[in-house]
Amino acid sequence: MIVRRSEAVIGRIVLVVVLVLTLIPLLNMVSAALQPADTNPTGLAWPTDPQWGNFVTAFETGNVWRLMGSSLFIVAFVVPVSLLFATLAGYALGNLRMRGGRFLFLFLILGLTIPFEALIIPLYYQSQALGVLNTQWAVILPLIGLYMPFSVVWMRAHFVGVPQELSEAARVDGATTLQEFWRIQLPLARPALSALAILLFLWTWNQFLLPVVLISDPLNRTVAGALTFFQGQYYSSIPLLNAGALIIIVPTILVFVIFQRQFIQALLQGAVKG
Amino acid sequence: MARRGTLVGWLFALPALIAYLAFVIYPLLLGVQYSFYRWNGVGPSEWVGLANYIRVFTDDTLLGSIRNAFVLIGFFTIIPVSAGLVLATLIRSVRRGFFASASQTILFLPQIIPLAAAGIAWSWMYAQTGAVNQILNAVGLGFLARPWLGDLQTALPAVGLIGSWVLTGLCTVLFLTGIGKIDQSLYEAVRLDGASWWREFITVTVPGLRQEIAVLVTITIIAALSSFDIIYTTTLGGPGRATLVPGISIYRIGFTQSEVGLASAFGIVLMALVLACVLPIQRLARAGER
Amino acid sequence: MALSRPLALAATTAVAMLALAGCAPGGSGPAPTNSVEVSTELTTEDVVLTIADETGFPLTDELAAEFTKQYPNVTFNITRDTFQNLTANAPKLLASDTPPDLIRLPTIGDTVKDGLLANLDPWFDAYGWDTWSAAQLAPLRVNEDNVRGSGSLYQLGLGYSITGIYMNTTLADQLGIDAPPTTIAELEEDLALAKAAGILPIMAGDKDGVVNFVVQAAMNQYNDPAEMMDWILNVPGATYDTPGNVQGAELIREWADKGYFPSDINAIDYASFVSRFQGGEGLFTFNGNWAAADTQAKMGENVDFFLVPPVEEGGDHVAMGAANSFSVAAGSKHLNEIVFFLNWIHTNDAARQIVTDVTGASPGGDPAQKQPEVAPGSLIEDALAMSAQIAAENGQVDFMANATAGIYAGAIIPESQLLVTSQITGDEFVKAVQAFYEQELAG
Repeated sequence: MIVRRSEAVIGRIVLVVVLVLTLIPLLNMVSAALQPADTNPTGLAWPTDPQWGNFVTAFETGNVWRLMGSSLFIVAFVVPVSLLFATLAGYALGNLRMRGGRFLFLFLILGLTIPFEALIIPLYYQSQALGVLNTQWAVILPLIGLYMPFSVVWMRAHFVGVPQELSEAARVDGATTLQEFWRIQLPLARPALSALAILLFLWTWNQFLLPVVLISDPLNRTVAGALTFFQGQYYSSIPLLNAGALIIIVPTILVFVIFQRQFIQALLQGAVKG
Repeated sequence: MARRGTLVGWLFALPALIAYLAFVIYPLLLGVQYSFYRWNGVGPSEWVGLANYIRVFTDDTLLGSIRNAFVLIGFFTIIPVSAGLVLATLIRSVRRGFFASASQTILFLPQIIPLAAAGIAWSWMYAQTGAVNQILNAVGLGFLARPWLGDLQTALPAVGLIGSWVLTGLCTVLFLTGIGKIDQSLYEAVRLDGASWWREFITVTVPGLRQEIAVLVTITIIAALSSFDIIYTTTLGGPGRATLVPGISIYRIGFTQSEVGLASAFGIVLMALVLACVLPIQRLARAGER
Repeated sequence: MALSRPLALAATTAVAMLALAGCAPGGSGPAPTNSVEVSTELTTEDVVLTIADETGFPLTDELAAEFTKQYPNVTFNITRDTFQNLTANAPKLLASDTPPDLIRLPTIGDTVKDGLLANLDPWFDAYGWDTWSAAQLAPLRVNEDNVRGSGSLYQLGLGYSITGIYMNTTLADQLGIDAPPTTIAELEEDLALAKAAGILPIMAGDKDGVVNFVVQAAMNQYNDPAEMMDWILNVPGATYDTPGNVQGAELIREWADKGYFPSDINAIDYASFVSRFQGGEGLFTFNGNWAAADTQAKMGENVDFFLVPPVEEGGDHVAMGAANSFSVAAGSKHLNEIVFFLNWIHTNDAARQIVTDVTGASPGGDPAQKQPEVAPGSLIEDALAMSAQIAAENGQVDFMANATAGIYAGAIIPESQLLVTSQITGDEFVKAVQAFYEQELAG
């Protein structure tokens, strides 16, 4: 790679500026969260007497354990079920390439462009009819369906890339389709699967519209959906509101930092293929 | 053999298809149905034909929210994609090492926190006593200081810039990887010609990133037209109706005002708008490939 | 045609679904109120009552705790959400299979028409609530035509509120203002005095519409309160577009032009304007009795609370006030128990004391019953006196935000945000609100 010297210098400066701009709002949350809880902090300033106790207060009064439990419950169903369904369908579309598969694929692609806002009103009455309104299922079931187009398209892209010879070899050995899928295809799909799992985790954890509309008790929502509850709970204390919001985003940041290599890789592939 | 493949194939695809039909296609049809009725969500309903659609296209408030959504495209799509392109070109020189990977992580952070949290963080940044005004004062631009989200002129751009903040990192990182895949000999060739930085950018980088650009434009346009979380946690559509967007309108009409038919019609119109914006981009991207 | 079979399959599915979608939604008719034998005896079984309330108002927590202390077999499960979310969710919550027994419900909307609220008439007779203030209960009634003000009782108040002006007396002393203004003209003199001295005349916020305490207070002084009340109660033919309302709204526009409101008013929400006033910013603020206890705690002796003055010296006062209204869900499985709780709040001395201590509001109920004790000279004492005066002068009007379910978010908040920043005239404000009102009632 050829890089002009001036470019390299400008590049570094610009990068540093952009990084600072990216970080300021987050640092501002930290600085606000550390001010005394009963004051209205002003601007970005490192507190003279950092109130780490605010995090404890926000954690306890915000029912964070319950919120995390509720979010995990939702994630624990949405992610595995989506993965399973999407892998099966992706294998069918990408490897088996059955008749009519092309049509099914286009039919799913259509779903990629539907904004959740367009479906939220009927989804509400649907969950009411199913008797799951105001329970976590009201979010779990629709999310599995709503994430399905992306998940299937994603897994199909992986299976399209797997050489057909592998399947043929397996079948020559007398393996059934199910055996071949389980023993050969699934292990090969692990990177694609884990990337999809991370994406689905973040999307579910951060999902806001569905829980706000479909679950009336904020404590049964996803943590992101419960942020409105924090806004209500700490309406008079900006430090506690920021402390609460920070507690809520920590798990996503942790997951991201731990899996960031796979995650960015995944997003890159997904974006290019999708 | 082919027959078995077809049967088994559909069997494998069945669970996904059912989930999709049950929770995307069925609600979509349900929404179409509601859109022809006047219904408060509980009591009896009344067939009103296209009246709800006519209201979507004649009500100033609803049209205003659509206009605001299109303004947001400027902030969610144009700024992040063009800034991402420029940044990626400038930054590609610093791609390896700890600094580079740390910057990648940081640039991505806004993308992984909940949008609702971004809204909370920024409404505090934009407050009268917040960091934005503090910084303006510090650099001698104090006369510009204002309650950014409470000011009719600045509220929409201010909300839009939150979207730019969230999406610029995503665009930059995707473009960086895209640039890495561009054939280096192309760069060498234009440099030997003594081309300027700008010429190199236009003739090599942008065409090489066509696919990434198409994808990012699509994703960000959908994000702009269907924005909800950020507005909900910052302005709720105010002041006046300066930041009212379709997502907030649908929520308010459907649930606060209990006009389910009108809200459903607006939802269908929103979906049609997204398709109308996204399909031509796909066409363009594909045409460019050939 | 390789595509034909799945295509046909998909087409059939789609047609089937469209056929399904062809039937009209809803239409099941009103759900019946759970029929129970009306009883004024509390059950001895263990019962959990559920309450849906708004965030930031701890009254139900304290009442529930006291009730459980007196009747240990009854416990409570109270969920809270923001006012905005709760009002949007209320009809949905009530219509669900597991509605809360008791819900904070500022606007009735279609809930009575749809049979979602329990009719309290049988208990009214059983408990003998006819000794309570009829005027206080009137706005909580709904008739067959879905018009509030008369008919059957569907709500009760956990405290009955009153609004007025808080004055920072430290700043008033600096300005040489030694007493509350007794006319609007005097109030305007005080505002001008403050502005000239570089003191913010009125602390108010309008991010969430609370400046309408000021807007309506101004309108009230020029308007016939009965007319405003009719409009709020959706009496057919009532209009918002009255000369008095226009005059009041124009006065607000004038105050906005003169810079009497904070410059960042549209970024200030309820909590911020209260805490900023308590922190010493602003000569006046318009708010209700519910802020009295907290304001007293923060500002001590340096604050006064009084009714908005009339136009003419010695004229009758008009003020917004309303029940902190709660409704019982028609689908509640504990109708007798939850009504027992409501009756207890109005009649038990300990409960009445809690209502007043926590909210500064009058507990309502039988006027002949012993009133809660308050500290002499306190803001809460002021508030109770103001309530009594308004009752005597028959000058109570409901909050205009309670006119319809959608009007606050859909018209009053956005239009007032324009009014207080001098973007529209008072006349435009009034006409826009009326237009929205007509559209919503027609819809």
